[in-house]
Amino acid sequence: MTLTESPVAESEAAADADGAAAPASPAETLGAPRGLAQPFMTSDAAQVGRLFVVTSLLLGLGAAAIGVLLSLGRTDAVAPDDLFGGLNAYFRMWTLYRASLVLLVVLPLLLGLALAVVPAQVGAGNVAFPRAALASFWSWLIGAVIMVASVLAGGGWGALDGVTGNESDAMALTLLGTGLVIVALLLGAIVVATTVISLRQTGMSLLDVPPFSWSMLVTAVVWLFSLPVAIANIIVIYADLRGRQAIAFGRPESPDIWLQLDWLVEQPAVYAMAVPVLGIVFSAVGKAVDARSSRPEAILVVVGLFGLLAMGGWSQDYFTAPQDLRDGLVYVAFGLAAVVPVVATAGGVGELVMRGSKTRDRLLSTPMLGAGAALKLLGAAALVGALRVIEPLDLLETSATWAVFHGVVAAGLIAGVAALATWSQLLLGPIQQRLAVGAIMLLGVGGGLLVLADLISGFIADDPDLMALALDGNAALNGVVLIGSLLLAAGLAAALFAAASALRARAARERSELERESGARAAGSEAA
Amino acid sequence: MFTTGFKFFFGLFGAFTAAALVYGYTTGGNHVGPISLGWKGGVGDHIGYGVLVGLAFVSLLVSLVLVSFRDADASAQARLQNLAEVLTDQPVAASFWPVVAAFGMGAAAVGLVLHPMVFVLGLALIFLSLIEWTMDAWSDRATGDRAINRELRNRIMAPIEIPVVGTLGVAVVVLAASRILLNVSKLEAVWVAGVVSALILGGAWVYASRPGLGRRLVRILGPVAALLLVVGGVLAAVAGEREFVHHEVDTHEESGEPAVTEEGH
Repeated sequence: MTLTESPVAESEAAADADGAAAPASPAETLGAPRGLAQPFMTSDAAQVGRLFVVTSLLLGLGAAAIGVLLSLGRTDAVAPDDLFGGLNAYFRMWTLYRASLVLLVVLPLLLGLALAVVPAQVGAGNVAFPRAALASFWSWLIGAVIMVASVLAGGGWGALDGVTGNESDAMALTLLGTGLVIVALLLGAIVVATTVISLRQTGMSLLDVPPFSWSMLVTAVVWLFSLPVAIANIIVIYADLRGRQAIAFGRPESPDIWLQLDWLVEQPAVYAMAVPVLGIVFSAVGKAVDARSSRPEAILVVVGLFGLLAMGGWSQDYFTAPQDLRDGLVYVAFGLAAVVPVVATAGGVGELVMRGSKTRDRLLSTPMLGAGAALKLLGAAALVGALRVIEPLDLLETSATWAVFHGVVAAGLIAGVAALATWSQLLLGPIQQRLAVGAIMLLGVGGGLLVLADLISGFIADDPDLMALALDGNAALNGVVLIGSLLLAAGLAAALFAAASALRARAARERSELERESGARAAGSEAA
Repeated sequence: MFTTGFKFFFGLFGAFTAAALVYGYTTGGNHVGPISLGWKGGVGDHIGYGVLVGLAFVSLLVSLVLVSFRDADASAQARLQNLAEVLTDQPVAASFWPVVAAFGMGAAAVGLVLHPMVFVLGLALIFLSLIEWTMDAWSDRATGDRAINRELRNRIMAPIEIPVVGTLGVAVVVLAASRILLNVSKLEAVWVAGVVSALILGGAWVYASRPGLGRRLVRILGPVAALLLVVGGVLAAVAGEREFVHHEVDTHEESGEPAVTEEGH
């Protein structure tokens, strides 16, 4: 059975066709709150999704700015101490950059896309628990505010140079903020997964679910298996920090706290951000060339396999000797196997293009460009991840770790922009193609430069450094990293502009529709 | 009569109870300790027994809630209420309780580190929003008619909400006004009390004599006045009370003990 034969595939096509009116949201039929009350009270998951998308892009711009400052600190221009006011401050920003890109930018961006798109794809009017979706957004936002504010107030995930009592309190707040953010994301994941499992329209089996919805189901399962481990880590660290330090794992004056949580931003757990990328790539390309795969079940297997390889809770090495875990067969196998689903996705995309319409407009459309760039970066990240686990190359504890991280983050961001262009009517509104293409190119080139520079420095570094404060005096590579960070920030700014212009266009359209309706009502009453 | 959800959780209750009894007796429980929750005899390993008994009670509670609300199944509830039509797939009404719950979680997190009072406030907000959220979720699907759903919800919740909100409102007004009166001088306190009383009296008079205008006025001025009062109360509380001078005057002739009076400047 192919997706073409599925009645749902048609409903998806109808729901997300550009130029067509967006489906009436269930909240609209209830006299939904308008104006300022809307973000606080809405029961329309699509609106919650928009809130997630715009807020995560805003936070992404902040995280990218921190990334630029950190890159500047790696060059000879400014010393890290001068830039941030001390080693502790540098460590705080270094950890905030990584944690925020995962927890405050890419994961919520993809969750927001899912909240808006998944119900339409599976033929449901709304998500399974719309109020839980709203609670998810606000809990995430409040957690994010607590997390960022406490880090700026001297908290963070540990320190390198001693701490004061106030800083210890701020660290406790950082941990609680991080925990709240994770709980909120889990809540959103449960909402999405339940929608796919229980609210599919009659006759749609799981095999008929469109690729993006399937990828979000897989992602939700991966998060549900992995993120609670992080919550358990946080509880242990918090108890240690605030209690009598009986366990002694969370000494605030050391980087131990970060070392217990860094598995979240390293492979394989970091691939959990990239599972929806595969779904977006399949859906975006399919829509761009107007084709459907002849083997949709293969797509489901590929995405499911990548999800399996992104399970990461087991890979934390703080409690065991790193070499025991990371030289182990499972870790190496996970690292090497992660390349397979990405390559298979490239094959699937090739098949779609072969089967579809190959006009110049379609092949150079924004979703197509975005899908291509995201897949290339994800492929690069998976390849570096595979090289990293090959022991003779000695890349494990080098900046190659951050090459994988940056590749996956950039792929997630680009896929997000491609999704905004693919499902523009369901999401923010008609997006400006030039801005979207600009964002994709900037993010693609910036991410690519970061992957390349971090990989090369991983090869040439004599003395591996946790924070890669200086790349062994290699000024050229440090400069490349700075350029890459700047391009990443510029790409996020372009994406934010594109989102803002789409929202403006949507608001203008809604205003004109309201005016038309009120005009028609007035004419009707006059005639009566 | 018994819903599927009830049967499942009541079964779990039975299973956990049996497991707790077996665990209690096999880990050193004696006499009727495991049966009487330790009242007459030992229960064996306290932790394991406690966990199992806890799970049993939670299962029992959930089963009772489920049977009370007919598993939140709209058709079952409609049969119970003899309603002809049921809309099972109804849209969910807008609600601000999810946001309150989120703020509650944030307050609890911040309070855990900064101040126990904030933590308790956060827990209270979470508890409150959970109750309201549960009732909203139930009433959304109680029948196919939104107006009836709203009425059903209000019939259960209004007798609780109105006294609680009224009490809280009075408490806030008393607390904020008392902080302001204690902050300003003795003479100014008399003036503030007089002016505020006159404003309340005037507002009530307008509301009673011109209901249409009064309602609009209350809608506009009510929140403004409440905000001013709370902000004033907070500022006064931060500034502290005025200085009190204690006069010791031995006018208490019968007991011979000095009486203490105080006067604010």
